[in-house]
Amino acid sequence: MKIAVVGKGGSGKTSVSGVLARSFARSGHNVVGLDCDTNPNLGLSLGVGDLETERLLSLRDQIDEDEQKHAHTWDDILDAYGTDAPDGVRLTVVNRIDNPEPD
Amino acid sequence: MSAEQLLSSVPESDTVIVADLEAGIGTLTRLPEGSVDTTLVIVEPTPRSIDVGQRAVLVASERQQGRITVVANKVADGDDEARVRAAFNDHDVVIVPVDPVVTAADRKGASPMDVDPEAPAVNAIAGLASLLAETTGT
Amino acid sequence: MIRIAFAGKGGSGKSSVSGTFARLLARRDRPVLAVDSDPLPGMAYSLGIAVDDHPTPDDVVIEGPEGGPRWVLRPGLDAAGFIETYASSGPDHVQYLQFGNTWGHFQTLQRGQHAWSQVVREMDPAAWNVVGDLPGGTRQAMFGWAKYADVLALVVEPTAKSIHVARRLQNISKAEWAPSWVVVVANRVEEDSDVEQISEALERPVIGVVPNDAAVTEADKLALSPLDHRPGPFVDAVEQLVGVVEATYDLDIQTPTNGTP
Repeated sequence: MKIAVVGKGGSGKTSVSGVLARSFARSGHNVVGLDCDTNPNLGLSLGVGDLETERLLSLRDQIDEDEQKHAHTWDDILDAYGTDAPDGVRLTVVNRIDNPEPD
Repeated sequence: MSAEQLLSSVPESDTVIVADLEAGIGTLTRLPEGSVDTTLVIVEPTPRSIDVGQRAVLVASERQQGRITVVANKVADGDDEARVRAAFNDHDVVIVPVDPVVTAADRKGASPMDVDPEAPAVNAIAGLASLLAETTGT
Repeated sequence: MIRIAFAGKGGSGKSSVSGTFARLLARRDRPVLAVDSDPLPGMAYSLGIAVDDHPTPDDVVIEGPEGGPRWVLRPGLDAAGFIETYASSGPDHVQYLQFGNTWGHFQTLQRGQHAWSQVVREMDPAAWNVVGDLPGGTRQAMFGWAKYADVLALVVEPTAKSIHVARRLQNISKAEWAPSWVVVVANRVEEDSDVEQISEALERPVIGVVPNDAAVTEADKLALSPLDHRPGPFVDAVEQLVGVVEATYDLDIQTPTNGTP
């Protein structure tokens, strides 16, 4: 099941996403948390902490560079650009940083 | 790879993918049709937040992004609940109460789940997870 | 003249602070132009302008000359005329321009962006004090929207997420565009340690401390300006902020000391 979570900034989108992902995991599902926000904070709401959230951010910057060399599969991305969050949730960041809207 | 490409190309499996999109409706307007099974629209009981939520609902339904559920977050009282329900009367609305545990978690940069797994807001979101699992047969 | 833009995480209170700031500045007998470039505009509410939909019509721009910008203001329409024609008038004589509304019309938004950058580039800097509400987050905040501003004010709540966004904005403001001053406004402050947490995480001075005020939450729910609904500690703090900005960051009087381009 793929779930998209949307809302205005400050609506609590990320808190809901984090708790939702962990609730699914606690009831026995395989869960991936996908942080598509340009200000990735899902790590905080999943409970991986400040440092690990920052580390994922710097990893994400590398995705684009690496992609020049070879195309990624879904499993590559989970593997290389993710981290393990509590309750067995796998967290990965995907969006590029700070790119302005296309003009 | 952009978030939009990735989300639309993830192979179907029994894994639950929770995608926290960027704030606003930008990603939703670029996401290929039918990329997800469920769209959760999170709104606070304020006119501005409801307005953004209504835009999101419209885009998600036009682009067939699965079943749409509205989550009324930070609901303090019956007026708040009524305001959100009235704005989304064609959709399922799940209520998540305003909860000092979530505020405390935000301040610390922690998960509400780790601050208090029995907090009212955490319970409400766990209920939402069960509801989604039932309705999609996951 | 004061030219200030407010940025921060979505939901940090940018719109409430910037709208209230604009009106309080106008009450000091200054001509104030409030500009909202957030694609989810919210400044109108906090200015006390009832309808939050003031799109700029499509026909303000025509296709630009070869090799130039894609869209330019149509012949006969200059920056002053644009403001006169398309700004809405609000309480305390604040003039309000909205550029960001993305209600599904992306082409329109692009044209609006071009019109916008031309207006802020060409408007008479002696005519207006400008108070801006920038797009939330970091994706669009710095992209040509705020070059009018001498002061960039980062609105920060004492939460890890809000501080993260402010740190990134602080870094981008060095790389992409260098306003004369980058400062911090702490919002929804409960206790002294909140301000310490914010000022330790950011390199810039905290020039405003705005307390958490239940009246602002109520005003948000009622779509009212904080000035028009039980004005209290929030309004007092923004009033103080206006005083600090007037005394310290008016380029007609001061020389930039911090983050000079």
